[in-house]
Amino acid sequence: MGKELLTAAAGETLLLLGNEAIARGALEGGVRFVTCYPGTPSSEVPDTFFRLSKDGPYYFEYSVNEKVALEVAGGATLAGLPALVTMKHVGVNVAADPLMTLAYVTAPGGLILLSADDPGCHSSQNEQDNRIYARLGGLPCFEPATAQECKDMARDALLLSRSLEAPVLLRTTTRVNHVRGPVTFGALPDTPAAKLFAKNPAKYVPLPASARPMHVRLLERLEKAREAAETSPYNTERGTGEVGFIASGAARNYLADVLEEDGLEGTVRVLDLGMSYPLPENRIAEFLGKCRKVVIVEELEPVLENEIRALAQKRGISVEIIGKGPHLPRLGEYATVNVRAAVNATLGRETAAVETLSVPVDLPKRPPNLCAGCPHRAAYYAVREVFGDEAVYSSDIGCYTLGFLPPFRAADFLLCMGSSISAGAGFARASGKPVVAFIGDSTFFHSGITGLIDAVAYNHDILIVILDNRTTAMTGHQPNPGVDTTIFGENPNPVDLSALIRACGITPVKVNPLNHKATIAALTEFAGQSGPRVLIAEYPCPIHARRVGQAKKTPPARVTGDPAACLTVRDTLACPAFAMVEGVFTINAEQCDGCMYCVQLSADIKPGKKEAR
Amino acid sequence: MNRARIFLTGVGGQGTLTATTLLARTALAAGLPVTAGEIHGMAQRGGVVESTILIGGYKSPVISKGEADVLLGFELLETLRALPMLKRGGVVVGNSESVQPVGVCLGRECYPPLDAVLETARGFAARVVMVPCISLAEQAGTAKAANMVLIAAAAACGALPFGVDALIRSVEKYLKPKIVPLNLKALELGAAAAATGQAA
Repeated sequence: MGKELLTAAAGETLLLLGNEAIARGALEGGVRFVTCYPGTPSSEVPDTFFRLSKDGPYYFEYSVNEKVALEVAGGATLAGLPALVTMKHVGVNVAADPLMTLAYVTAPGGLILLSADDPGCHSSQNEQDNRIYARLGGLPCFEPATAQECKDMARDALLLSRSLEAPVLLRTTTRVNHVRGPVTFGALPDTPAAKLFAKNPAKYVPLPASARPMHVRLLERLEKAREAAETSPYNTERGTGEVGFIASGAARNYLADVLEEDGLEGTVRVLDLGMSYPLPENRIAEFLGKCRKVVIVEELEPVLENEIRALAQKRGISVEIIGKGPHLPRLGEYATVNVRAAVNATLGRETAAVETLSVPVDLPKRPPNLCAGCPHRAAYYAVREVFGDEAVYSSDIGCYTLGFLPPFRAADFLLCMGSSISAGAGFARASGKPVVAFIGDSTFFHSGITGLIDAVAYNHDILIVILDNRTTAMTGHQPNPGVDTTIFGENPNPVDLSALIRACGITPVKVNPLNHKATIAALTEFAGQSGPRVLIAEYPCPIHARRVGQAKKTPPARVTGDPAACLTVRDTLACPAFAMVEGVFTINAEQCDGCMYCVQLSADIKPGKKEAR
Repeated sequence: MNRARIFLTGVGGQGTLTATTLLARTALAAGLPVTAGEIHGMAQRGGVVESTILIGGYKSPVISKGEADVLLGFELLETLRALPMLKRGGVVVGNSESVQPVGVCLGRECYPPLDAVLETARGFAARVVMVPCISLAEQAGTAKAANMVLIAAAAACGALPFGVDALIRSVEKYLKPKIVPLNLKALELGAAAAATGQAA
């Protein structure tokens, strides 16, 4: 999606990704300040803003982490500008400290926090339900289900936030972020005037004495937000009868498709909750009063279910409430198949068995893999060669998490973004075993550096390998503070990783991981030492280098000697460019990136000729 | 064809998502209500990429097992793996050629033969069309256009609610001008191969 997001007029309809629609919606809401830390499934929202940032009427940054992103945007909204902060669900944990108090301090210019949740763990380490953060922090919460709603709710959440001066949670899930559908545009507003900041410490500085009245005002704002929810056009009712369904988020889609496909539309009552917090209590109570039986359809935690049960009890409404159970589990994503089973069970209908083809269970797997030419593969190979199974490997969040897979098996534990150094240090202290921590450049800036400072301060015995591929590769090559280039050209202010580490009190050793001999030499020397040590394995991600036009074109490697003699390299390096053709080892010239690492490991593999490509 | 659930599966880097977007845009241009979805996991190359296109007013972008009217398989093994998504009487249009997963390259796992895929699908599917997408794309100029060969084959054999002409218009409208001729050639070869593929 190109500049249409900035230029298309009201009334135009375009096919948009949910995340692109969120960007347009925020623009329609007058957003002027966007910060983020990328994280799948949220990444395309900031990536869209980044791509358009030269022409867009807003300030944009990829912040160093989620806490910083929320704090920077928090300052901007205090200065009166409408702001958007984007992250994935686990990122909100990082930002939780400022978030809880920002709701007290208020967001005069307006502020949306996009939390992209991931039911089903498509690309995440857990499937926490961030609607609970709305309750914890006192944030009104919107849950879009379609691309059109992504756009509309981003706009209206920002407008509501600006009018209430309260931060608002826009909570999506992977399916919604990555849905693609037609979106009819609204108008782009003129630049909203920044609300002038008037100094007022009692209002904006949460010392205990001022925080107590701030909490009172927060609850008052929530009551106003509840009134907005009572009349919100995103909370809609349809159908008749004495069986009702209350649905939120993506679950609304599954319910709608089942009712439509099974000819039930209209025969049951449905209350769709698009603005789901604060609970529109009157509206829900009225709905409950019309039903004999109500099913709550929501993915993950029984958040609405528990609140609605409590509401029915409080209002003395006698209605059977059905929630989490065999058909509506507390984990994973929903789909029409389980919602259909829940609908039929409620209505006393039979669910016909779905006929499916079965396929062999032992098909070859296709796990995500380090790319051909990835410098991380070389770094893992060398660390394995020197440390083998003796060391314990502390892993982190990024492409290099794929080092978990065989043949490297270089991930023994992992907690969260930035934990490899600190968790590894604790493990080393407790076990006395050699520990190697792997962390990427972006992750090191995100929150690895605090672990390093701790390791220096307490002399933890750990070898830290920073896999510096000069970009944030896993989430789609976003720039980080250390990069040399972005899609817009040179980074004018790169943070010097080596100097930063030196300032912490450690002189790091830097190697090109694709140089096998040099890397082995550095690692062997480190193996004989103790205390905190840092190896920077620096080489650009080949995909990113190609994208920014910095890749050197090297011809693919080829087997010139005995293919049978290469099998050890095949099994220990496991490069995706390796192939067996009719039982004979070969290197796929299409796949090979020309990194020449395997050439250093086998006398039977040689660089190809230049003209071969 | 008023309503259809189309399930697409392939390998990261094959252009499955590009094809998905192009098909969804083509459907929209044809005035059909469309919802599409994608799961690309951790943005990594080489893993399985699955996407969906639902035409005719569905709201959910998810397709459950046994629900797909059409299965478009950009890679042979992934087509086999995704066959449980197909509903009885659905249509399979697939690439008869392979992208070897690492376990196969390493000689630890065996790649299933084309005949095994055909055997499994036949009898359950109404129609199975297999086309050598990579070879044909190479004929068009680059293996990267295998995705276009496949969707053209699907359109040509009536598996989609629009024809090859609509795809041609989309390629001309939405792809960078530089790569349009090559992709048009790929569409042409894919459409021509559909007839042969039926017999495969």
